[in-house]
Amino acid sequence: MGYAAARGGLEAILAAEDLVRRKRTEGSSAPLEVDQITDRLRLSVDRVMGEAGLWAPELAARALRQAEGDLVEAAHLLRAYRSTRRRLARPVTVDADELEILRRIVPAYRVPEGPQLLGRTLDYVGRLLDTSDRVSTGVEEATHAGTEPQVLVFGGETDRRPERLLEQLRRNDLALDRRRSDDPEPYDINVHPVRPGVPRSARLSVMARAETGALVNLWYRNVLGPDGYIREITLGEVRHGWLPVRVEHPATGQPVNLGRIRVTETEAIEDLDGDDEARDHFDVGYGMCVGHNERKAIAMANLDIAVHRDGGRSSLEQSVLMTTDGLESSGFLEHLKLPHYVTFRSMVERKMSLRAVASGERNDDRAAAIEDEEIRTEAVVGA
Amino acid sequence: MAEQTTVSLPKGPDPSRVREWRSELLASANAHAIITVAQRCLESGDTRLVSEPTVGMVPVSVREPVVGERFILVDVLATRSEVDHRGQRGWAMRLGDDKEATVAAAICDAEAAANGPMTGEIDELCAQTDRLLAESSAAEWAELLPTEVHFEELVK
Repeated sequence: MGYAAARGGLEAILAAEDLVRRKRTEGSSAPLEVDQITDRLRLSVDRVMGEAGLWAPELAARALRQAEGDLVEAAHLLRAYRSTRRRLARPVTVDADELEILRRIVPAYRVPEGPQLLGRTLDYVGRLLDTSDRVSTGVEEATHAGTEPQVLVFGGETDRRPERLLEQLRRNDLALDRRRSDDPEPYDINVHPVRPGVPRSARLSVMARAETGALVNLWYRNVLGPDGYIREITLGEVRHGWLPVRVEHPATGQPVNLGRIRVTETEAIEDLDGDDEARDHFDVGYGMCVGHNERKAIAMANLDIAVHRDGGRSSLEQSVLMTTDGLESSGFLEHLKLPHYVTFRSMVERKMSLRAVASGERNDDRAAAIEDEEIRTEAVVGA
Repeated sequence: MAEQTTVSLPKGPDPSRVREWRSELLASANAHAIITVAQRCLESGDTRLVSEPTVGMVPVSVREPVVGERFILVDVLATRSEVDHRGQRGWAMRLGDDKEATVAAAICDAEAAANGPMTGEIDELCAQTDRLLAESSAAEWAELLPTEVHFEELVK
């Protein structure tokens, strides 16, 4: 399909942009500071960074402010910024087991190895809209945070990096062992195109950067929708925590931790029940994404194992790879608002011609009418 | 039950990786503190930028536990700087867009690598940063501990 460009309207476009710039700072309230956004709207900042593919909290906050809170637009701004930056170093791979937990729940086991730590969550309380104007300082809610002033406590390695449930399943020979003996380079979706058939590492990268709603929708369609894969889903681990960022020191060649980022991680346990599957075992799907975004990590883990089990029989892999990027889908959708005068006019002309052929009209008056319409159209195009 | 003991403070650098220890802690040190120390380093010794400090990205590669494969999770904004100071090459990288503090960290790295007169202060800044990080981590854990849960199963 081809598109014809339109031109003109520059003054109106500039006036519209000026209107956006002025209106987003108007009003009687104080200007929105960047640290207010990073401190108070952390989940939005996390989503923007995750969908842009760049951990940069301050820039994500600026993007959110500029986009007036539109997450997809903010991710677009941040990803555009990202495209202007080059990579400074090759990464030193970090192991997912190095994740230092801020929250860890194991829905599959009541008493797993290590603590079940609810962390910062509202999962177990009702959602009531707070209509008061009182700004909570956190002091009055501190009644459940311990009665005595806390002495500093140290979470030992086993507590902050507890053994994952997958290891327990393996010890009990309940999980399929799919560990590889080789160590292929990870597929870089920023450098190479993503098409069905790419390695699993590409799928994981695509889903880590996908739009949250798109992943959730695809998972839901896959589980309950027309794709018909209704099955029991059990989550092994849901973790939120810190992961180190590591590079090689150029002088010594040794690893250096530069800092850390927050990530969410999920293991999804799949009950194997296919004729050609090991029905006395489970298999496990994996999800990890940037920031605190459990919906996304859970959908990712479930889709990871779903694509593996599907084995290319359906279009699921294609859907995961080609339809979950927020910028691509929103960009294509939003381009529909741009002028499509020429393409639509050609469609109208085809309709008119079909109608003329179908009705068997061959008289000179009808032909002349069509010709007149074409001449008028060309005159408008030429203008 | 999660482990609770009094905070264990860092024991100092492993002698075999002192330079990496400094780089890690200079990456996390307070920007104002590191710039102050670097300015004092500049009072003695020739210093020049090897290249302009660069704001770019560091990819995060993660080895996942199911298949043991590596995948690229995200890129992280970072600033890199390289300097020559006291005839030593200094290198630093800090997360975020922070050119001034990153140049300062590279100067401190070179000063300490050359065993310059400010080495003691640099190592003290690193040790202080290490303590602050450990205390911050312990305080974070103290806030999390009351949320440890032991659900009960309902049995008929």
